[in-house]
Amino acid sequence: MEGNQEKFEFRAFLTEVDPGLDLIHRSLANLRDTLERPVDDRPLMLFEIALGEIGGNVLTHGRPVGTDHQVEYVLRYDGHTAEATFTDRGAAAHEHLTNEMPGHESERGRGLAIARSILDQLGYERHGDVNSWHLVKRL
Amino acid sequence: MLFRLQMALEIQTRQADNGATVVAPTGRLDVAGAPILKDAINDATVAGSPKVVIDLEGVSFVDSTGLGSVIAALKQIRSKEGELRLAAPTQQVRVVLELTTLDRVFPYYATVEEALTGL
Repeated sequence: MEGNQEKFEFRAFLTEVDPGLDLIHRSLANLRDTLERPVDDRPLMLFEIALGEIGGNVLTHGRPVGTDHQVEYVLRYDGHTAEATFTDRGAAAHEHLTNEMPGHESERGRGLAIARSILDQLGYERHGDVNSWHLVKRL
Repeated sequence: MLFRLQMALEIQTRQADNGATVVAPTGRLDVAGAPILKDAINDATVAGSPKVVIDLEGVSFVDSTGLGSVIAALKQIRSKEGELRLAAPTQQVRVVLELTTLDRVFPYYATVEEALTGL
């Protein structure tokens, strides 16, 4: 990348879906401002789409009912590549990782397929009852 | 780093001169906002053969769940032999429609006025 090489890091603990998603989008807007990229910068736009998909899934399914578990969210930029991690205590997600894009009539099931198609790397690990999602995109 | 939190979707609905309903969401049409759009579409499809335009100009971000609510709207309206058109999608919305190939299902119009023409 020939532009701004500045490093960036943002950390937050997320709870509710709507304010959690808002914070994710605002962290991305802050990264965009830091890098002095326009609103229509395509790599950043695609990274934000993937963040929205994984963040929405994690905030919806990653906090078991009756618990007050938080989702840990970290966004980093190292001068070339954006990386985000989500850590949650929801059910294991292995069975969903290879979901293909469903047909046009389907109202759900596209999120992971979208994220896989636009990220350079989408990682998922489960240790004990903890899920870790790792999103990587070169900007 | 300070952030001013902004909650998801708000919706305004109006009747056009030709009787069609224009549903105009503002904000994020995502997993948090999708149920709000579904409620607005339910209200707009009470009448038989509903004609509905969703004005997407104010949608700052759409995710797959938000798209799902638009697909649900399309199925609901078609089941009543009505018609749904999308108008003025932002670049982010157009990119998501293309990524999912749903741009083949939802031809969109540049403006609400164009979408209302002939509806």
